[in-house]
Amino acid sequence: MVLLVLGAALLAAGLYVLYLDRLVVTQFEGRRWTLPAQVYAAPLELYGGLPLSPPELEHELQRLHYRRVDRIDHPGTYHVAGEHVEVALRPARFADETRPAQSLSITTAGAKGIESLHDGAGQEVPVLRLEPLLIGSIFPIHGEDRIVLSPEEVPPLLPQALKAVEDRKFDTHHGVDPEAMLRAAWVNLRARQIEQGASTLTQQLVRSYFLSSRQTFSRKLREAVMAMALDAHFTKADLMNAYINEIFLGQDGDRAIHGFGLASQFYFGKPLSELDLPELSLLVAIVRGPSYYDPRRHPERALARRNLVLKQMADQGVIKPADATAASHRPLGVTSRPAGAYYPAYLDFVRRTLRRDYRDQDLTEAGLRIYTSLDPRAQDEAEHALEHELARLDRQHKSRTEALEGAVVVTSPQSGDVIAIVGGRNVGYDGFDRALDAHRSMGSLVKPFIYLTALESGRYNATTVVQDAPVDVKLTGGKHWTPENFTHEVYGPVPVVRALAESLNLATVGVGLDLGLPKVAETLQRFGVQQPPVQVPAMLLGAVDVTPIEAAQLFNGLANGGFRNPLRAVRAVISADGKPLKAFPLEVTPVASPEVMYQLDRMLVLVMDHGTGRSARALLPPELVVAGKSGTSSDYRDSWFAGFSGSHLVVVWVGYDDNEPTGFTGSAGALPVWAHIMAGLGTSSWNAPMPESLVEVHIEYPTGLRAVPGCAADIVAVAVPDGAAVPPHPGCGFPEGASSTSAGLLDRAQQWLRSVVH
Amino acid sequence: MDIIPRMHSRSLLTALIATAVLAGCTLFRSPPAPPAAPGGGGMEAGTSQPAQPAPQAPAAPAPEAPTPPATAPPRQFHLGSATSALVTQAHQQAASGDTAQAAATLERALRIEPDNPLVWIELGRVRLAENNPAQANAMGRKALALATGDPAAQSSAWHLIADALRARGDNGGAADADRRAASLAPH
Repeated sequence: MVLLVLGAALLAAGLYVLYLDRLVVTQFEGRRWTLPAQVYAAPLELYGGLPLSPPELEHELQRLHYRRVDRIDHPGTYHVAGEHVEVALRPARFADETRPAQSLSITTAGAKGIESLHDGAGQEVPVLRLEPLLIGSIFPIHGEDRIVLSPEEVPPLLPQALKAVEDRKFDTHHGVDPEAMLRAAWVNLRARQIEQGASTLTQQLVRSYFLSSRQTFSRKLREAVMAMALDAHFTKADLMNAYINEIFLGQDGDRAIHGFGLASQFYFGKPLSELDLPELSLLVAIVRGPSYYDPRRHPERALARRNLVLKQMADQGVIKPADATAASHRPLGVTSRPAGAYYPAYLDFVRRTLRRDYRDQDLTEAGLRIYTSLDPRAQDEAEHALEHELARLDRQHKSRTEALEGAVVVTSPQSGDVIAIVGGRNVGYDGFDRALDAHRSMGSLVKPFIYLTALESGRYNATTVVQDAPVDVKLTGGKHWTPENFTHEVYGPVPVVRALAESLNLATVGVGLDLGLPKVAETLQRFGVQQPPVQVPAMLLGAVDVTPIEAAQLFNGLANGGFRNPLRAVRAVISADGKPLKAFPLEVTPVASPEVMYQLDRMLVLVMDHGTGRSARALLPPELVVAGKSGTSSDYRDSWFAGFSGSHLVVVWVGYDDNEPTGFTGSAGALPVWAHIMAGLGTSSWNAPMPESLVEVHIEYPTGLRAVPGCAADIVAVAVPDGAAVPPHPGCGFPEGASSTSAGLLDRAQQWLRSVVH
Repeated sequence: MDIIPRMHSRSLLTALIATAVLAGCTLFRSPPAPPAAPGGGGMEAGTSQPAQPAPQAPAAPAPEAPTPPATAPPRQFHLGSATSALVTQAHQQAASGDTAQAAATLERALRIEPDNPLVWIELGRVRLAENNPAQANAMGRKALALATGDPAAQSSAWHLIADALRARGDNGGAADADRRAASLAPH
């Protein structure tokens, strides 16, 4: 009987051991073959004429963790000598090319930017890109990130140091170290609690897999069995490599820092292979307690532990005692802020793009390399401006306890590249992504599309006088729709350009009703609105829900001269062995004629000079030409601004997550954010060529009457079709009956003739 | 100075462009259908008959004086040294049959000079080689919009559009686009 019970117990124990064996081996195999997709930002193209000042160039090199040295030696260093910057470039992999390490000499022309580039042999290089910044990986477990290193990428000193400090018998034990366990057990028994750990690296690895820090005796036993199982199935080298990629080394908000590869970026801002002895020793020191020995929060503790690690390494003969002593006198050397970019909202967009073509498993395990359009400079500007301005707006609205939220999308209009996405003011937080998921009323952002439809009808131009008069639309069910202007005033007859620039609701509704709702809805769909808008009159005031990224898609067509291109975050996907798997090539589709677009865009320029965007002028470089439109939804729930320069489109949304009124318009909420971003991008002026069938005319802004500069107050220039009838201002001395712009044609013909004859 | 012939060709040129531009609008509005070119589709912008006086300015007194360029003085696009190097590289990649690489290289050039019609024309040529006439045509139109004031670039853009239309089987439209190209080409 006793034997039977004993036998059954043994059998049960045996089965349990087998179960643990399968569990841990499966976990290890799964992790070992898990190579998360690595995501890269757009590489910075360097060429003569690039307006990148020496400090900006240095900042970009440092973003890529290049170190400034007195003399460049190994890849990853640079040296500044007067106008010349010498760079030892690391080997780089691009979507379309692999490049070995090489040296590059950059000649700068002061603040004007880069003058020329030369290679190591002194040959001029017309164009060369820096390696793309790694911006993250796509991992199956939410909030976990790591940079997976192959054994060859790990400095040989690291495994030696880990063994010397954490597990001296690693090479010979069978997963557990009974002697050390007994010693620790004795200490712990006397203290009646767990005081001393004696875990081998293998046991620590097991603990990391099953994410438990609770230390009970039964758990310890389970851990020991699993460690022995791992040791029996895999080589020491495999286990060491898994440990180096797996172990927990820090916390960055919601992001857990796993593995030495990412920890090196997180604490020192450079790759593991470039760490020196004291830096590497610090990472080994942190293993024992990433929060207790956090070098940013507890530098003294971390320093003491690092020096202990150095001493142990010297004692074990891993390093020379003299080197240990020298290293002990070095500072910790950690960066003040967690280095390494983390852009969850952008990664979210990348992930969604790829999910159309790839299974989750492909993205998290197949070792893909994903090249994106992210511009870290634009991303930094957008994040900083949103954080800063929302904090300022919150201070203005102290009555609200809840914090304002916002989202930003930045694109390069001609290519359709999405170069920055901010999903909320807490930029590092991988949570609700407003840029992609906040469906909000577009408000007055709809107006450019109404006036575009009007221009296309051929019955309107910028100077056409429309009536800003009370509107009363009888809806089905006997109700009446009686919209008002934001000022609650009625402006009477106004030219189209003013109705748009000042975002007059009544005038716009009048035009929209004249054109018909289906026409306006069709324009919105042509430019890329996702859902067909519900055709109710309120649609004309923006009762159309869009996400910020969708608003960016719509305005990108305006910024790109009437060509629509699908917004892209991903440029190419490359397999683990370097084969191109998928490209997202640039595509353009004409959706509006260049003539109509030019007329509209010129009016949107006037929004910035005369209309709801003019307060941005103080924040922008004085000579920069930009175009844009504010958007305010009903009851001030949403504050939008969408606008573009010659090379960038920026869309900003500001509001409360619970859709409560904010109390400010697009001009007061989103516009300052927009202007700060635009000013910081180093962008170029909007400068589309005027199509040859259009002419530029000057009009009196309040009335739309044709004028010449100086003959009346408040004169603006607009583009109209050649021959369009524009009634002359009586005070401007136009000849009797000269209502057509073709009179101007004659003037200009004479001017041109004079310029030719001279 | 031979001012008169130059002015003459320029006024013709402007009329042609105006026609082209109006024809371009047929993509987006529905004006009275232009007479379809024999054998042509009639839907595509390039298929309307060229060389008619610009109908948009009928009210205007036909100016005796030559029509100057509507915007800045004539300009001539050229490639900067960085884009030029990339375009050369793209040509080599395309010549060795790797159109995908060539396109990627041209996209690099476009990011450096997004407003240069010559780069758009190059990319359109690669799209044509990839048997994608729809995108080749669209890029020709994009180039045309940017090339205002540069007859040589406008001519190249029309050539690309002509080839794209031909690849789609629209021979009438292609012939029409070819005529526009020829009329703009420097004599």
